[in-house]
Amino acid sequence: MEAYFIAIGIIALIYVILSLGLTLQYGLTGLINFGHVGFFAIGAYTSALLALKGVPLVLSFAAAAALAGLAAWPIGLVSLRLRDDYFAIVTLGFSEVVRIVITSERWLTNGVQGVPGIPRLYDSLGGSVAQLAVLVTVLAVTLVGVWIIRRIAGSPFGRLIEAIRDNEEAVQALGKDPARFKIQVLVVGAALAGIAGAFYAHYITYIVPDQFIPLVTFYVWMAIIMGGVGRVSGAIVGTAILMLFLEGSRFLRDIVPGVSEVDMASVRIGAVGLLLVLFIMYRPQGLMGDYTKR
Amino acid sequence: MTHTRRQFIGTIGAATALIGAPSILRAQAQGTFRIGALCPVTGSGSPFGSGMQKMIIAAAEAVNAAGGAAGRKIEIVSEDTQTSPQAAVLAAKKLIDVNKVQAVLGTWSSGVSLAVVPLTNDANIILMNTSGAPALSVPPANAKGLSYRFQATNDRFGRAFAEICEKEGFKRPATMAFNNASGVGNTEGFRKAWEAKGHKVVESVVYEPNQPTYRSELQKVLAANPDVIVTGSYLADTTIIMREWYQSGQPVKWVMPGWAASPDLVKAVGPDVVEGIISVDSVSNENAPSYKAYDEAYRKATGQPGQSNVYAAMTWDMVHAVALAIEAANGTDMAAINAKIREVSNPAGQQVYTYAEAKEALKKGKINFEGASSVLDFDQYGDVTPDFGVFFIEGGQLNRRYVVKI
Repeated sequence: MEAYFIAIGIIALIYVILSLGLTLQYGLTGLINFGHVGFFAIGAYTSALLALKGVPLVLSFAAAAALAGLAAWPIGLVSLRLRDDYFAIVTLGFSEVVRIVITSERWLTNGVQGVPGIPRLYDSLGGSVAQLAVLVTVLAVTLVGVWIIRRIAGSPFGRLIEAIRDNEEAVQALGKDPARFKIQVLVVGAALAGIAGAFYAHYITYIVPDQFIPLVTFYVWMAIIMGGVGRVSGAIVGTAILMLFLEGSRFLRDIVPGVSEVDMASVRIGAVGLLLVLFIMYRPQGLMGDYTKR
Repeated sequence: MTHTRRQFIGTIGAATALIGAPSILRAQAQGTFRIGALCPVTGSGSPFGSGMQKMIIAAAEAVNAAGGAAGRKIEIVSEDTQTSPQAAVLAAKKLIDVNKVQAVLGTWSSGVSLAVVPLTNDANIILMNTSGAPALSVPPANAKGLSYRFQATNDRFGRAFAEICEKEGFKRPATMAFNNASGVGNTEGFRKAWEAKGHKVVESVVYEPNQPTYRSELQKVLAANPDVIVTGSYLADTTIIMREWYQSGQPVKWVMPGWAASPDLVKAVGPDVVEGIISVDSVSNENAPSYKAYDEAYRKATGQPGQSNVYAAMTWDMVHAVALAIEAANGTDMAAINAKIREVSNPAGQQVYTYAEAKEALKKGKINFEGASSVLDFDQYGDVTPDFGVFFIEGGQLNRRYVVKI
């Protein structure tokens, strides 16, 4: 039982790191990033491929963050010229480009066959101790991420990006250049996604392009919307709610009688959808409240 | 912010309570052996997944009706992989840690199997899959020899294609593959085997899924003037490719996997178009009594004929193999059970086809269980080594001409 909770905890924390990045980008700055999974994928593949070449994991994680952040740079440059909704389309396209490049560049990524046997963190500790160590590490990284985002939000930089979100023209009128700040925000958010990707790759131990579909991006969106947009606590709570719906529904079969094992799978997915709809109907501002609408 | 924090802690508390509340922690009841069914009931594997899961349950019922294994009833706990590695990992964790299953059966896509196998290895329990990826045969995936594959690997399919092309006297083969692990695995396996015979492949095209037309890919292949095109394709894309090729009028032969060149393909495009296509499939053990038992169970559970889901036949065999190994090991020690899997399935021994019959025969001596999906003999990698049937489509019928052994 503990091992199952640890597994849920690790996956949930990986999603928390992802949603922290999106909180910075959308919640604070108002950038509609529909391509979050692209940076997640870059991080996962970077760290996995380097680790398989024998690079120490500390370096491969750093490289994952750096490369994912770097990939956000050109997207940031493009964003200077685009209105919000167009930026959303560009980022969605970007994440699909990443996935197709990974699929096609077989010499590097082994294409659709995927990369198996990615080394796990703390494998030498063995079994449940290693799992616990992974959980603690992801938790520590998440806390550092939370701390960084809070520091950013409370700093003059944070007030400026919130001003960009609320009224970009006013910021420009004050003599600030929103583009520069947008790029910085994108790079930091992408680097966080890259770290999340590295944790994911070394936890699942097998990555394949199919895992990096836009659905992952929208899970993260669901999480921050349910938690409350623009709040760090919202990112955490939203992810907790999402995991609760997704994993808690596995135990439906113990409560709901008269449904066959096979039908249960579909009932479960339906229940998750229903819960998500109901939640948003009755709590549209998210559990922690939507900061952007205040 | 204290308000927020309190709410947050409250949420976590509620989450824990909600997950923990139902009586899910059923202890392993005395006298049962718990098996996890981890099939792709939703997601891209869904056409097969529900049938696979139903056959695991049906086979467990057959085993229990014959008195169980080593005096224990088989109990099935089901989870859905959603055909996604991440969902499958959490589902497998739940099966292993919460439900305490002692074997996980029925993972379908290679991505899912490769993600789940480290977990079953850690827990020292058996994983049985129907995936094609070669990586599953060797360490790290199969480092402990606890993983069994009931489907022919893509590599083997490719080698079978190469044997057939040589036998049919083709000189200039080209390949077309659907861009996923299985599709590319087939054609790459073919290329390796074909080049090992000292020949060359004149053109290779990999196409993206879900296109309305494959005309440009087809033109590229046909421009190389091949005498045969070997595919790693599925039914939907093959249907489009066949129509467009027929319109092009260029004569060429085709060698395809059986799941693409199936009776459904003949129905979809008409017998004229597909005349002479060579369809290759691993030989289900269709004439064996075990296949009859499976077919009957499958019809009863789904209302469809058993041949409509080759993977369901494999999951049917999985439960039989595990149950017989438990019976032979006469206990629930996983190492002992694992040691018996090959012993009850591979040759030398009395050929048996149903669980009840096998259980009787086991009292007298060694048995060789012949499954519904294949004769079920495992090599040193835990892979089945099926023979391949070579079917020619003639007048809308698939006629088996010969069998290729690898």
